[in-house]
Amino acid sequence: MRVSFFLSVWLLVTIIFCGQVVAKNPEEILTFKLPSDPISFQPAPGSQLANNYCLICHSAEYIYMQPPHPRELWTEIVHKMKESFGCPIPDEQISPLVDYLLSQNSIQISPPTHSVQSEAPEIIADQPQSFPGDPRNGKVLYERHCPTCHGAGGKGDGLIGQSLVPPAANLTLLREKSDTSILDTIRNGRPGTAMPSWKDYLNHSELNDLLSYIRTLSP
Amino acid sequence: MTTRPPQLETPFSIFHESIFTPNDAFFVRWHLANIPQKIDPDTFRLTIRGRVNHPLSLNLHELKTQFEQMEIAAVCQCAGNSRGFFQPRVPGGQWGNGAMGNAKWKGVRLRDLLQKADMKEDARHVRFDGLDQPVAEATPDFQKSLGLNDALHEEVLVAHSMNGESLPMLNGFPLRLVVPGWFATYWVKMLNDIEVLNEADQNFWTTKAYRLPADPCHCARPGEMLTSTVPTGKMAVRSFITNVENDQTVTGGKVFDIKGIAFDQGYGIDRVLFSMDGGQQWQSTRLGTDYGDFSFRPWEAQFIPETGRSYRLQSLAINRIGESQRFSPRWNPSGYLRNAIETVTIHAI
Ligand code: HEC
Ligand code: HEC
Repeated sequence: MRVSFFLSVWLLVTIIFCGQVVAKNPEEILTFKLPSDPISFQPAPGSQLANNYCLICHSAEYIYMQPPHPRELWTEIVHKMKESFGCPIPDEQISPLVDYLLSQNSIQISPPTHSVQSEAPEIIADQPQSFPGDPRNGKVLYERHCPTCHGAGGKGDGLIGQSLVPPAANLTLLREKSDTSILDTIRNGRPGTAMPSWKDYLNHSELNDLLSYIRTLSP
Repeated sequence: MTTRPPQLETPFSIFHESIFTPNDAFFVRWHLANIPQKIDPDTFRLTIRGRVNHPLSLNLHELKTQFEQMEIAAVCQCAGNSRGFFQPRVPGGQWGNGAMGNAKWKGVRLRDLLQKADMKEDARHVRFDGLDQPVAEATPDFQKSLGLNDALHEEVLVAHSMNGESLPMLNGFPLRLVVPGWFATYWVKMLNDIEVLNEADQNFWTTKAYRLPADPCHCARPGEMLTSTVPTGKMAVRSFITNVENDQTVTGGKVFDIKGIAFDQGYGIDRVLFSMDGGQQWQSTRLGTDYGDFSFRPWEAQFIPETGRSYRLQSLAINRIGESQRFSPRWNPSGYLRNAIETVTIHAI
């Protein structure tokens, strides 16, 4: 079971990596693209904490691949993330986060069998005015999921926003960006950066609500 | 295994297909997710600095033309290879046996570079840094170091090629430190900076991570607090059966070939023993081509399985200084240095 899991991830990822290695010739500039995270934290009480504090530096696979660990070991791991690596989780949030991690420990979630990037986007048409969402609900969702990185006012100045590489985007400066591209980034995340995918958390209309709220943010 | 940062395990069947692990199936292991996705070989520079009289900044062309080019066959194995088999289980990357690979590495001797830079009298350690960076500023950058004596060994290379091709991006293009016999954590990828130090390196990845219990066994009891630790350092002797999988069925009543590989930290393999009854009786095996002391060494044995019986196949390698694999697995809290005898069960029909 484990072996076939490794194998399928290997295959999945090699296909993505190999398909995108642009040049092998040493004279040319070498580039490659990293794939999106194949799995995300399963929605459950405490998953916001995991989304905000445990996806900054690595994918959720780091957590889901762990064998069953007792509470003390998870607490120790979270402390290591905080003290050795700089995870910005406040002390009082550690215990609720550990509750969530324990609830997720050893759940088998299988990655999709095809690359997330190749999935046809669910967003139907690129008509700039066609995503009327509710900015008030958008604000609630924003405050739940986004401020650690993007900051309360969306300027990218959250607790850890500017210490990320690349830093969290300033969401007040997205005038030029199309609705589709913003929705796509929120849905699928940005491969190779700390921007997570929210598709398991936010449905169609919630995404639109968030978009409408982001459109109200001013620099 | 993980996508960010990328960690990929070599499927075990690859070790049966060839003694050198192909570049596109070679295991991949990064610690930090901020890896350059674009490198221009024309502007890339390797710097050698610190306690030296002539700091160097070399481009790839200079590296390939101004220094003697060396090639060595060597196994690169993660210290946590086979961590998934630790009992009780331990945290960390849950590797099977595929966090290893064997390749022909080509490049220049680190020693020649250090000589050219002309180290000062007080040089004691050498620290290596690659282009990968942490995502959050507070995370320590990934660096590793070697004591001067180890760094000056003639087989330590700054490699630009792997199995006759440029290093792949995921395995450290354009340069990778190759430290034959030592665990992969020292084989710094995307190597762009070599710093000569006059004191021991205090970097997190050298002083806090990749540590083993200090006792000679490098063992601990679950739950025990480690009072004294040592760096993971060199590998230990191992062997694997590569041409059968667990629970495979084979045809009884005729000769069956068993094939495998063995390797150690560079003394070379002296012999490999084979058992078909879970280690009660051992028979000798034939060693195959010797590609050098640091390479996988192929071996093979034969036996005639009886229809209707199951067999617990094991192999046991002994190196040229008489060290053998462990009969019982060692346990330590980070899941490093497994080298116990592995078992594959097959059924003859
Ligand atoms: C600031 C960066 C950062 C954040 C935030 C972070 N981690 Fe980590 N984590 C790391 C690094 C670095 C490693 C070591 C990576 C490696 O060696 O592959 C790691 C490794 C791990 C491992 C593997 C076991 C180990 O101890 O190495 C687990 C499990 C883990 N993290 C869980 C978490 C959880 C849960 C969170 C959320 C509280 C979290 N991480 C947040 C940086 C971070
Ligand atoms: C763990 C940190 C983190 C969290 C949480 C996070 N983001 Fe991001 N986000 C980033 C980073 C980093 C980038 C910049 C990526 C880049 O430079 O490509 C980004 C980029 C974006 C962009 C793209 C902006 C552009 O220039 O195209 C949008 C839109 C966005 N985030 C929206 C959100 C929303 C909405 C949420 C909450 C649902 C959220 N983010 C939560 C880190 C985060």
